Amino acid sequence: MSTETAPPSTVRVDARDKVTGTLRYGTDRVPPGMLHAALAVATVAKGRLVHLDTEAAAALPGVHLVLTHADADELTSGGFLLGGGYGFQSFQPLTGDRIAYRGQPIALVVADTLHVATEAAALVRAEYESEPGAFTLDAPGAEALVQSEAIPLPMFADVVAGDADGVLAEAATRPGAVVIDAVYDHPAQHQNPMELIGTVAEWRSAGDGGADILTVHEGTQNAGAVQHGVATQLGIDADRVEVISPSVGGGFGQKNSLQPQTALVAIAARRVGRPVKLVVPRTQVFHDSSFRPATRQHIRLAADGTGRMLAAVHEVDQQTSRHDLFPGTHTEITSRLYGIPNYRGLQRLVRTDVQTPGYMRAPYEHSAAFAFESAVDELAVALGQDPVELRLANDTDTDPVSGEPFSSRHLAECLRRGAERFGWARRTPEPGSMRADDGSRVGWGVAVGCYPGMAAPTAARVCAEPSGAVRVEVGAHEMGQGLRTAMVRTVAADLGIPAGDVTPAVGDTRALPHHLTAGSWGTAGALPAIALALAELRTALKVPEQGPVDVAAAVAATGRDSVEVEAVYTAPGQPPQVLDRLRAGLPAPGGPEHPGFVTFSWVAHFVEVRIEPTIHRIRVPRVVSVADCGRVASPTTAGSQLRGGVVWGISAALRESSEVDPRFGGFLNASLEEYPIAVNADIGEIDVDFIDTPDPMLNSLGVKGLGEVSMVGVAGAVANAVHHATGRRFRRLPIHLEDVL
Amino acid sequence: MRPFAYAAPASVPEALDALVAAGPDARFLAGGTTLYDLMKLGVEAPPAVVDVHRLPELAVVDTAGPDELVFGAGARMADVAEDPVLLRDYPMLAESLAKAASQQLRTMATVGGNLLQRTRCSYFRGGAPFACNKREPGSGCSALEGIDRAHAVLGTSDSCIATYAGDWAVALIALDAVVDVLGPDGARTVALADLHHEPGSHPERETTLAAGELILRIRVPTTRTARGSTYHKIRDRESYAFALASAATAVALDADGVVTDARIALGGVATRPWRAAAAERTLVGAPLTVDTARRAGEAALAGARPGRHNGFKIELAVRTVTDALRIAGERAVQ
Repeated sequence: MSTETAPPSTVRVDARDKVTGTLRYGTDRVPPGMLHAALAVATVAKGRLVHLDTEAAAALPGVHLVLTHADADELTSGGFLLGGGYGFQSFQPLTGDRIAYRGQPIALVVADTLHVATEAAALVRAEYESEPGAFTLDAPGAEALVQSEAIPLPMFADVVAGDADGVLAEAATRPGAVVIDAVYDHPAQHQNPMELIGTVAEWRSAGDGGADILTVHEGTQNAGAVQHGVATQLGIDADRVEVISPSVGGGFGQKNSLQPQTALVAIAARRVGRPVKLVVPRTQVFHDSSFRPATRQHIRLAADGTGRMLAAVHEVDQQTSRHDLFPGTHTEITSRLYGIPNYRGLQRLVRTDVQTPGYMRAPYEHSAAFAFESAVDELAVALGQDPVELRLANDTDTDPVSGEPFSSRHLAECLRRGAERFGWARRTPEPGSMRADDGSRVGWGVAVGCYPGMAAPTAARVCAEPSGAVRVEVGAHEMGQGLRTAMVRTVAADLGIPAGDVTPAVGDTRALPHHLTAGSWGTAGALPAIALALAELRTALKVPEQGPVDVAAAVAATGRDSVEVEAVYTAPGQPPQVLDRLRAGLPAPGGPEHPGFVTFSWVAHFVEVRIEPTIHRIRVPRVVSVADCGRVASPTTAGSQLRGGVVWGISAALRESSEVDPRFGGFLNASLEEYPIAVNADIGEIDVDFIDTPDPMLNSLGVKGLGEVSMVGVAGAVANAVHHATGRRFRRLPIHLEDVL
Repeated sequence: MRPFAYAAPASVPEALDALVAAGPDARFLAGGTTLYDLMKLGVEAPPAVVDVHRLPELAVVDTAGPDELVFGAGARMADVAEDPVLLRDYPMLAESLAKAASQQLRTMATVGGNLLQRTRCSYFRGGAPFACNKREPGSGCSALEGIDRAHAVLGTSDSCIATYAGDWAVALIALDAVVDVLGPDGARTVALADLHHEPGSHPERETTLAAGELILRIRVPTTRTARGSTYHKIRDRESYAFALASAATAVALDADGVVTDARIALGGVATRPWRAAAAERTLVGAPLTVDTARRAGEAALAGARPGRHNGFKIELAVRTVTDALRIAGERAVQ
């Protein structure tokens, strides 16, 4: 593939539309005659609905419909994404009288205006039979299960290599050996994308004598699951459901599956015979969408006196709901960060009375790396070794779990280059030994991270027009990560045409089957699919396999109006059956263990904190991060991804926590005002760099995922820097001002 | 949100009449950043609002006079925050405005309405299922045994520990500001120090304003002391957040560095704007040092009552006063 004619790296194809407000998100759609919906939600955290009075709501002028469990008979569960279904949870509100969590929808009101709908929802009166609930890992009634027993699937099994427990026991008595044994706590957190959860649903006659067609407009990372899930819920054929989601206003995992409101809005629209729109308010999003579950992670790590890591045991307790088992794979990465020959990982799931938790950027890896990389820092301190040198000394080219080679692993180079850019050599190891001019204590911390190199079946279509323009469609989703930009760059570079001649399209099930875009496999699947389609296109256009193409002339030479080709990419070694899953809206990613190799993306973060005198606010004036994501497909958006991951890591380390009052369940600080996401004023300089060496095995373009790995390890580096500044080890996030007071 | 009547009279007298006509539960509406917010949450439900935010009589700001600064109640927080006289001679006032909320909110919110900003207590704002004596008198207080990290340690009662959330009033109270109000029974002037109630056994009663009274303007006696001043706001993030602790401090120093005048008020830790007069007295006649500043901070927090999770606020506020006095001292004209 030629890259010489790639458009300037600074171009982001939808930037102008975004800043001028012309980009259309899912619920921006306003079909003629559209009505507005609002939800009434449960105010108790667990129990049974004994009476629901909707009279006052229904009587309010302008109200068209009040939908409750008593009259939503056609509604069924769309199933749990990790249980063969489509939803973020199996529990579907309005299918019974059970209250499973505070904030659970108990009625949907449809009215002429949003204001009437909201007022009517507030008029719905409910009586409950309340039951005591458990909302935290330690609460009485929280039920812990061993994941490998509760979910007997290979991908959720314990990770075991060698004899970790035996080596740990032996190391405890061996002179010179060091054993770290510590517990790390991470709170529940919420994704809080700017775009709220929402749906616009409209029905139209198919005109073929068959059932009507449902069109769903909503921001989603998984249009295929919405399509097939809603079809399942309503008992209609999936080809009668269209899902349109061209731009997602941030997903971060919260939008990666079927949401409970979609079918409710679809039913409401069918009942009232008009399009209906529901945008779920922020406080309700905190309670009726997924979130990052609370975890407690116990790490035991042994090294010999030279710093060679001998064994590690990583045991995780992760919160889940009463109705679903949301599995964790924290140990998948901590078993691969270093060449530790003896490793045992154990995941436990703790049932609590919440909506089912789910994926939030680096869903397991962020908290796992905080715990493990804190432990590695504790090990460096105990050994009296430099934390960068300790990490370099335990590097490996071979996956210690499977014994297979890593397809690419430039983690050592990330560390070396990061240390150089950061000026790590000037660090004095003694905690509290570095001071800024204003008297602030300065701490420098390092941590690494990795994220599995997954790939998912992805469909692509390329259409060459007589004008020379090229339309490129992919069955994937643009959540702001820059997929459209990477698509345009790929096509323009391959064909040697201006970027302006390439029109990208994503997020539309009418065009192609759509796979879940998550897990950093979006770009890593879309670009290889496009590459396959471009090869087909060159064949169809009868042009050479490489080099610039005069598209207009080539199309004219075929004598056709346009030339359109399709291709489907699958992960290495995936069987053809994964295409059936793709077409059924089910997740079918492959990796990180591919046939003959194992793929991860890698990153190293270097963080400076300053703890100001007197008041002790913790500042983060600068961060240096170096990532190995294979070849960089789009420098502008890649840099943005990495910086964004760093920002979120800082925010998660020092600020974000979804507060739980155990008397009430649910989440207390359920708004953007009270849930303290970092703001610009909290963020200093973030210097990012990439190894930018193609992965030779995962796909033809050499790209690996980036979005998730960007955040992995940041919180650990912050906590390690705080230790370096203060001499105090914080094993619970977030680290607040009062902790260092 | 429930339907409500809306009126936008053209003058202050008409606005007063309109409010009386609209009945006892009608409310004046200024920037709407608190009232509309709470109406959307269902915490406030006035049957009528009388919009005063465009009234020209309320927009007048005069910071050039020799005796007092005058801020019309309808002036925008964002505009007043950029007043050149405040930036030069009263940094504590300018900073208290600039560090509040977000630029968008400051552009909407008024300096009069901001004095009446209501608490951010989650149990107050959250509605059912939380008990709140302020929202529903006699229903109890969920915060007392709850997550009280953000709650007050000064001026609390067994009925309410909700923090007064504003910044501007904290800076103003340190400078002996007064407010002119006009109501059905005529005009009067109230010291800002007398505008807010502590919760006591009636946390629903937040101010001493009588029914139908409208704040017309805020007046602040001019003082050279304010040149050496700051509004130091400590919070969980560096903008768009309420104070965990804040201190409005001003000091005047003589040629020997001895304090001749000191002003200290606290925010984020008390149930109302909190003037720390006893703390000020510990400073006057003493040199301004880290030790005297800290002693003033300790005096300011005397009598503070910690809750379950907010005990740190006492030490944090002491240090905030200490650091704020340092900043004020560096700016002070000797």
